[in-house]
Amino acid sequence: MARGNKEIIAKLEQIVGPEYVSNEEANLIPYSWDLTWAEPRMPDYVVMPKTVTEIQRILRLANHQKIPVIPYVNATNIGGLCVPEEGGIIMDLKRMDQIIKIDPETCYAIIEPGVSHAQLSAALKATNPQWEGFEFSKGFEFGWGVHPASASVLAMAINHGIGHLNGRIGINSQLLSSMEVVLPTAEVVKLGSCAYSDSWHSFLPLPRMDGLFTGWMGTTGIVTKLGIWIFPIRPYRDVLTIAAASAKDITKYMVHWRHYSLCDEVTAVSWWLAQIPITFPYKEKPKDAPEFFSYTVISGWSEEELEYKRKMWKKVVQEEKARGTQLIDFEYPEEAKRGRTELPSRIVGSTKNYSKSCGGGLAWPGTFAPCKSWPILYEKWKEIYIRHGLSPATRFTDYQGAHYGMLRCMTPFDKRNPESVKAARNAMVECVRAGIPLGMLPYKPPVEYMNELNAAADAGYVYLMTKIKDMLDPNNIMNPGKLGIR
Amino acid sequence: MALELKNTSLKELAKIYDYISMCTHCGNCKYGYEWGKTANFAAMLCVQGDKYHFDSYRGSRGKAAIAKGLLSNKLQWSDAVAHVLFTCTGCGACQQMCETDIKPYILRMFEALRSEAWKQNVAIPEGIKKWSSTIGVNRNPYLEKHENRLDWLPSSIRSSLPKKAEYIYFAGCTASYRQKSVALATVKLLQKLKVDFTVSQDEWCCASPLLRTGQYDLAKEFVEHNKALPDKYGASGFITTCAGCYRTLSRDYTMDPPEGYIDKFGKMENVKVVHTIQLIEEMINKGEIEFTGSFNSTVTYHDPCHLGRHAEVYDAPRNVLKAIPGANLVEMYRNRKFSFCCGAGGGVRGGFADYSLETSAKRVREAESTGASVITSTCPFCWRNLTDAIEMTKSPLKMVDIVEILEPIVKRK
Ligand SMILES: Cc1cc2nc3c(=O)[nH]c(=O)nc-3n(C[C@H](O)[C@H](O)[C@H](O)COP(=O)(O)OP(=O)(O)OC[C@H]3O[C@@H](n4cnc5c(N)ncnc54)[C@H](O)[C@@H]3O)c2cc1C
Ligand code: SF4
Ligand code: SF4
Repeated sequence: MARGNKEIIAKLEQIVGPEYVSNEEANLIPYSWDLTWAEPRMPDYVVMPKTVTEIQRILRLANHQKIPVIPYVNATNIGGLCVPEEGGIIMDLKRMDQIIKIDPETCYAIIEPGVSHAQLSAALKATNPQWEGFEFSKGFEFGWGVHPASASVLAMAINHGIGHLNGRIGINSQLLSSMEVVLPTAEVVKLGSCAYSDSWHSFLPLPRMDGLFTGWMGTTGIVTKLGIWIFPIRPYRDVLTIAAASAKDITKYMVHWRHYSLCDEVTAVSWWLAQIPITFPYKEKPKDAPEFFSYTVISGWSEEELEYKRKMWKKVVQEEKARGTQLIDFEYPEEAKRGRTELPSRIVGSTKNYSKSCGGGLAWPGTFAPCKSWPILYEKWKEIYIRHGLSPATRFTDYQGAHYGMLRCMTPFDKRNPESVKAARNAMVECVRAGIPLGMLPYKPPVEYMNELNAAADAGYVYLMTKIKDMLDPNNIMNPGKLGIR
Repeated sequence: MALELKNTSLKELAKIYDYISMCTHCGNCKYGYEWGKTANFAAMLCVQGDKYHFDSYRGSRGKAAIAKGLLSNKLQWSDAVAHVLFTCTGCGACQQMCETDIKPYILRMFEALRSEAWKQNVAIPEGIKKWSSTIGVNRNPYLEKHENRLDWLPSSIRSSLPKKAEYIYFAGCTASYRQKSVALATVKLLQKLKVDFTVSQDEWCCASPLLRTGQYDLAKEFVEHNKALPDKYGASGFITTCAGCYRTLSRDYTMDPPEGYIDKFGKMENVKVVHTIQLIEEMINKGEIEFTGSFNSTVTYHDPCHLGRHAEVYDAPRNVLKAIPGANLVEMYRNRKFSFCCGAGGGVRGGFADYSLETSAKRVREAESTGASVITSTCPFCWRNLTDAIEMTKSPLKMVDIVEILEPIVKRK
C-alpha cells in the first residue's frame, strides 16, 4: 500500500534517485514507532539523501509544500523523537556515513550523521595521538554510551548524549567543536572555527550559536557535519565498586569521591537496575540486598597513577564509613566490569540487559538533576513505580565538575498489553512532574515530558524558544510537534 | 502505544508472536559489531540492507516491524511487503547481533512471514514461483529432470558403490545438477579415504529451498522421503558437501523449533549428519590421512552462512586448510560469525539474480583484498555464486571447493 502524493514522490525521486525514496507502507512501518510508548504514526515518505545539496533540495520542496521533515538515523533515542507526529518525510541520514577527518594532532574528528558508534570507535582506535609524526600513545576515544553500536554518534552528541568519560570531561554535547547545518529554510551554515578556515577545532571564542542546534531534537535544522573532540585512550584502567544501604548513602559517597575529579565516571544503580534483565513486572528486593551498587572507572598513564587514584578512593570510602555512611564492600563480577571498560559494547548496547523478555517496550524518565535531589526523587520515583507495578531501575551518574548528573529509570514494559503501556507512560510522566520543582530536567524528552516542562517553565523561556523556532523554521516543517509549543 | 495481536489468521506468525514481540526495535541487528579483549570488529553485514537501504530491509528489526504491523493490523499485505521478505538471504547476521528473546526465532520468523506471503495475493518473485511449480515433479529447484539426478556419477564409480553402507553421501541438488565437479571430487575423495559410504539412487532435494522460502506444505513430502533413506541403505548417517543440505538435515530434520522443523515434519531419529569437512578434520586428527602432494597457494575461506552462522562450524574448514601442505590461509575481514553472505541464499539467487550477483561481487572484492589467489568454501551453492561474480568482475581469483583441493593430494594411511 502506498501513501502520500505521487507528485511529491516524483520530485523526491528527482532529487535523490528512485532507489532512495519510498512511500510504501512496508518501508514506512519501521519508521512509525520506536522502543517507547510513543503512539505509532506513519510517515508518508522516507528519503535517504547522500549529500548536503540533496538535503537542501528536499527542504526547499518541504517548505514549498509544507510537509514535515523528521531527521532520522536509527531511532534509538528512547524518546519517540523520530516518530512523525504529523506524518511527512522521514529523512533517513544513514547514507551520509563518512568520517571526513580524524586530526590526530589537534585531536578532533569530523563526522557525518550516519556514522555509527561501531564505525567511529573502530576508526578512532586505529588512529594514534601524535605531533609532527611522533606518536604519543595508542588510539583515541570519544564518550561512548551504552547505546546500540549502530546508533549515530552525531545524533547522540547534538542531543546531549552521555558517555563513559562524562565524569572526567563532561557530557558529549560539551565536546563539540564545530558544525555544518542545513537550516529548515535550506541555507547551509557553518558554526565555530570551521566558519573561518578548514580547522574544526573549536566553537570558542565565538558566540555559541551551536546552541541553536543542540538539544533541539531535530526541530531547528539538519546537522550535516559535526566536529567533535577526541581523547587519547589511557592504557591503564580499573573499575572500583561499592554498594550502599540507601540512595542517600550512595549519593554522599559519590559526591565526596567526585569532589577530587579523579575518575572517568562514577555511577550508581539501584538493585533493580543491577538485575539482568530488569525484573518485570515489579518484584520486591530481598531484604538483605543493598539498595544501590556503584562503580567508578579510573584511568591513567601508568600503574602508579592508577594506584594513587585507588588510594584516594579507599580514603574516601573509609572517611565516609567513619562518618556513618552505610557503605557495603562489594565486588562487581568481572563480566560486569568489562562491560564498563570495553565500550561501545554489543552486549551492553543491546537491550538485553534491560528488557530481554518483557514484551518489547523500553523507555525512561532520563533526566539531569542536582545530586541533592537524587535521594529525594529516588524515594518519590520508587513509590510511583511500585504503584504502577514497575521496577525502580534507577541510575545516578555524576557529570564532570558539576553538582548535578543523570537521574534516570530504565523501564521495560509489555507492548502487547495496552494496560502495561499506559502504566509505564503514566508512571514516567508522574516522575517527571514530581522532579521538575526539584531541579530535574528530562533529556531527549518525549512530547509528554515537553508538555510538563513547558507548563512549569518561565514564560520568557518559552517565549524565546518559540521565537527562535519561528525564526529558523517559519513553516514549522522540522520535526513538528516535538517541542510542545505549537 | 500497544502492539496487540489482532490478526490471528496469520497462523505461522501468530504462533510465535510472543517471541516476535520481544524485539525492542533497538537496531543492534543492523550492523556487525564486537569490541573488547576478544574481538575488534565493525562492519556492515546485512546484504539486504546494503543493497536496499531502508530500515525495512536492514537486519531483523525491519522484518520484525513488518511482522508486528501485520499481526496488529497496522500493515496490509502488498507487493512491497513481499519484496522486503524475499530479498533477505537468511544469512543470519542479524540474528548473530541480536540479544533479546526474539533472537532464536529471527530466522524462523522470516520463514513464517514468507509462508504467510504465499497465501496472499502478493508478488512472490517469478524465479521462485517457477521452480516451486515444478519441484513436486522434478524433486529439484533447477527445473531439471529427476531421472538425470545421478548423471554426475560415472557408471564406473556407481557400480563400485555398496548397496548398504555406514553413510549415504547426500550430494544435494546444486552439486548434482550444477557443480558436478564438487560431487565427483567428494565421492573420489571418500573412496580414497576408504570411508564406508554409498550414494542413494533416489535422493530428493533436501527441502532447503522450500523451507527457506516458507513453502512448508511442499516441503513435507521431501523431508519424509529423505528421512526414510538411511533405513533403505542400512546407513546410520548422511555425509554432505553442501552447507545448505547440512543445515537442513542436521537442524530442520532433527531439532525442535526454532532451529528445526520437527514440529511440522517429525524428527529424524538416530541419524548422524556430517559435513565432509568435519569428517576430514576428524580423520586428520586421528592421523588417518596422508598428504601425497601440496597446494601451493594463498587461500581465503568463505564461510557459507548455512555451515557457519546457522550451524556454528567455523574451525573444521580452517583446521583442514591449515593442514594442507603449501596452503597459506588468509582471512577476509568479515569472517566466521561476522562473515558476509555470498548473496545466493534464501531463494535470492533464483528470485533476484542481479542483486544476488552484485552481492557476491562484493564478497569477491573482499577476497581479492586479502592477496589470496584462491577463494575456497564448503558449499557448491556459494561456489556457483562466487564463481559467477569472479567471471563477471574478471577477477584473478580462482574458486575451488575444499574437497577439490583435497581430492588429488590425499590418501588413507
Ligand atoms: C539500550 C539503549 C541505551 C542507551 N544508552 C545511551 C547512553 O548511554 N548515552 C546516550 O547518550 N544515549 C543513550 N541511548 C540513546 C540513543 O541510543 C543515543 O542517543 C543515540 O546515539 C541516538 O542515535 P540514533 O541514531 O538512534 O538517533 P535518532 O534516534 O535517529 O535521532 C535522535 C534525535 O536526533 C535527531 N537527529 C538525527 N540526526 C540529526 C541531524 N543530522 N540533525 C539534526 N537532528 C538530527 C532526530 O530527529 C531525533 O530527534 C541509549 C539507547 C538505547 C536503546
Ligand atoms: S538474514 Fe542477513 S540479509 Fe536477512 S536481514 Fe538478516 S542480516 Fe540481512
Ligand atoms: S531483532 Fe533484536 S537486535 Fe534487532 S531490533 Fe529487534 S531486539 Fe534489537
